[in-house]
Amino acid sequence: MRVELRGITKRFGSFTANDSISLTVEPGQIHCLLGENGAGKSTLMNVLFGLLHPEEGEILLEGQPVRFENSGDAVRHGIGMVHQHFMLVPVFTVAENVVLGFEPTKSLNRLDHERARDEIRQLSERYGLDVDPDAVVESQPVGIQQRVEILKALSHDARLLILDEPTAVLTPQEIDALIEIMRALAAAGTSILFISHKLKEVRAVADVITVIRQGRVIDSVSPETSEADLAALMVGRSVSLTVAKEPVTVGGASLELRDVVVRDDRGLVAVDHVSLSVHTGEIVALAGVQGNGQTELAEAIAGMRRVESGHILLGGVDITNKTPREILDAGLGHVPEDRHRDGLVLSMSVADNLVLNTPRRAPFARRGTRQLRAVAENARELVARFDVRTTGIDASAGSLSGGNQQKVIVARELSRPLVAFMASQPTRGLDVGSIEYVHQQIVAERNNGRGVLIISSELDEVIALGDRIAVMYAGRITGIVDSSTSREDIGLLMAGASHVH
Amino acid sequence: MSTIASQQHAAVRRDRRVTTIGALMVFLGALMAVVFGLIVPSGAHSQLTFTPLNTAVHAPWHLGALTLDTRWSDTVLGLMAIGLGVDVIVRQPRRALSRFGLTSVLFLLALLLWTSRTGGPAQTNFVNVTTVLIGSSSLVMVLIYGSLSGVMCERAGVVNIAIEGQFIAGAFLGSMIESTTNSFWLATLAGALAGALLGWVLAFLALRYMSDQIIVGVVIVTLLSALSSYLNLQILTPYPQFNLGNPAPNVAIPFLYKIPVLGPVLFNQTGFFYLAVALIALISFGLFRTRWGLRVRAVGEHPKAAESVGINVVATRYRNVILGGAIAGIGGVAFMATQGPFQPGYTSGLGYIALAALIFGRWTPSGAVVASVLFGILDYLSYNLQNYSFPLSTEILGMFPYLITIAVVAGLIGRVRPPAADGIPYQRS
Repeated sequence: MRVELRGITKRFGSFTANDSISLTVEPGQIHCLLGENGAGKSTLMNVLFGLLHPEEGEILLEGQPVRFENSGDAVRHGIGMVHQHFMLVPVFTVAENVVLGFEPTKSLNRLDHERARDEIRQLSERYGLDVDPDAVVESQPVGIQQRVEILKALSHDARLLILDEPTAVLTPQEIDALIEIMRALAAAGTSILFISHKLKEVRAVADVITVIRQGRVIDSVSPETSEADLAALMVGRSVSLTVAKEPVTVGGASLELRDVVVRDDRGLVAVDHVSLSVHTGEIVALAGVQGNGQTELAEAIAGMRRVESGHILLGGVDITNKTPREILDAGLGHVPEDRHRDGLVLSMSVADNLVLNTPRRAPFARRGTRQLRAVAENARELVARFDVRTTGIDASAGSLSGGNQQKVIVARELSRPLVAFMASQPTRGLDVGSIEYVHQQIVAERNNGRGVLIISSELDEVIALGDRIAVMYAGRITGIVDSSTSREDIGLLMAGASHVH
Repeated sequence: MSTIASQQHAAVRRDRRVTTIGALMVFLGALMAVVFGLIVPSGAHSQLTFTPLNTAVHAPWHLGALTLDTRWSDTVLGLMAIGLGVDVIVRQPRRALSRFGLTSVLFLLALLLWTSRTGGPAQTNFVNVTTVLIGSSSLVMVLIYGSLSGVMCERAGVVNIAIEGQFIAGAFLGSMIESTTNSFWLATLAGALAGALLGWVLAFLALRYMSDQIIVGVVIVTLLSALSSYLNLQILTPYPQFNLGNPAPNVAIPFLYKIPVLGPVLFNQTGFFYLAVALIALISFGLFRTRWGLRVRAVGEHPKAAESVGINVVATRYRNVILGGAIAGIGGVAFMATQGPFQPGYTSGLGYIALAALIFGRWTPSGAVVASVLFGILDYLSYNLQNYSFPLSTEILGMFPYLITIAVVAGLIGRVRPPAADGIPYQRS
């Protein structure tokens, strides 16, 4: 289907999210929309999918102008969307999810499970998307869940498929499979709009790349454009995509895990006898697909989750099952995975967030009274040093962009003497510019002779930062390799393979 | 993937909570076998009788009394409970909860046998099983109305903690309307409307203004109990002709009512009882077999997903909460029609026990019914055990339904999972 957006403008109050955006997707084309977080990609897609109404501009399908009141209208016009956060009911079966809203029924409004199943089998065969219609969605791996989402869109005869950041949750192998699926669909005539901020995959799959920045279309380029040029278009200045790392002499262990066992919230073993040591002056990157125990391991190290057995040593001191305060005082810097939940108090000011780990200590408090002047001074200094973009140190942390929120946390954690530094998903949701900055800070910490543990599900990040790479799968460390190992081999370890050659 | 990881661990998975509940069952079993069984003097007998007290109309049969040796019967019951508990510990079945329910019933039976044994504390040396069941059935019925109301609301994602308030409204209006018009049909209609109106208030505040559903629910209950006390004082006390509290007539179902024991319990009941049974079937079928049910459950689990395929989340929630309110309202009328004239506070927290039954029953109509039966019998016995001079205060027995619920909610017994979006206000993006 040929889809044309003409001069789409969408404002939220005084903020213009989309500023007169025009673009055309040809039938059977894979069109990538590349831009940083907050560039307006998702807003544009929500306009196209009928979830938001633009102030100006029009949408043309096959040359005909259309107006969508809601997403149902868009679906009826042949537009399907695979959301970043899946729109699947976890406790329903695949079949129930696909037919929801368009259920085949028998008399008495009864669901016709036979027909639903048949429908899905036919769709699976037609598009080569293998799924079990009777499987409960939550029991399926994320890659399959995404396949169900795609099937759901196709079941409504989507001729334009919008994929919103579809690779964020996938393993490298699953990403390859997704790219295959996209190619096959496009070959069969389905148009695809693919939203991403990851340069590699955009270049791998796109026919055309449209870059948007601050709500405007910057340029439409071919996928032959180099990664560096694409990054420059996205950010508006040239960005270095690799981190310069000087060789550093590695010293003794600064953070050591010995046979650590941790359970998850449901009481299942999430970390299964993990041993790992991080030496001073090195970055160990812990790779793995989300949900393989990394979160629980990081929480256990930070004292936020009980260690069932085994020991954790920080600079040779046993910190197993100490309180978070004791562990912070012992010299662990910690950037938590979920910065909104564990990293910041969003309603508090930037200044207060910057002393969140040392609020009772001199010089920020004396005899139980907070020293607001010292807090403010500290904030002004760190905001300047770490280049936090904020309207002021009294602005609430929640008013900052994701990248600047992360800078606040990094600034807080690195502004005191540390023994070891641990960061979980340090650049999740950050734009290329902020990633560059955070990576530089992490490497600087290593160069200063600290042991650094990075926990990340981004393969690029793991390879860029790690001096050694440990891969975690199903609660165990499946391999520890050095940073020259190929992406494919690390990908295999992430998928559970026990040996790589 | 977490799912892969958990599947790998599933083979060796031993859930500490399931093990705990198994241990609790073994403990109860041991208590029964030793305290109610082995240390009872040999030769003590308990009698179970089955013929209902008012045999005049509907008991064309007669079952002789069953005389049991207390010591050995209770020992056997205790061993059965121990067996069930060991089974739960060893095999870790998914349905540990229902086995726990069965153990509770065994425990009650052992307790009744013990208290009514010869030389025991009770003056009457027999337990009339049929009477106990008939007596419990009206409480069970009211709990079924309440928990079905909860199923309707919570499956769509709205917590209805106002069931107690809807009971009060139904009972109050039901009594007034029945007394003045002499028609249970009109009383039922009035109760349903009152419950529906309260459901609408809850839905309006929760859906339009995104108020906290628990707080709105508690406010509705508080308001209703105060309002009903006031109106009781102003209207019902000075004009008792408005508050006759006539019992609803029993309707015997031909042939079936003649079945021994079950007949008088299940087939010689009020219309309210039969309506409750019909509602169980209707709601079970509707929720799990029809398009309507699939959509309701989608709204309760993942409203955004429902909205994205064109389902109107807010309308679905309004509809279900209002229907749920109507069901609880009828429950209030049913309570009045079996318990007599309205008095302030006489529903005595039954709405909350219904809510507990809903949780115990894992948000399914059939589970809620099983829990309602269990809680109803427990509640009935806790009111009536004094007749058996049971040497434990009725207040302590009255705590049982709540203790069980606390155990369930605390996650002692497996994982109880509510609808994912239960109680969370929905905001359209």
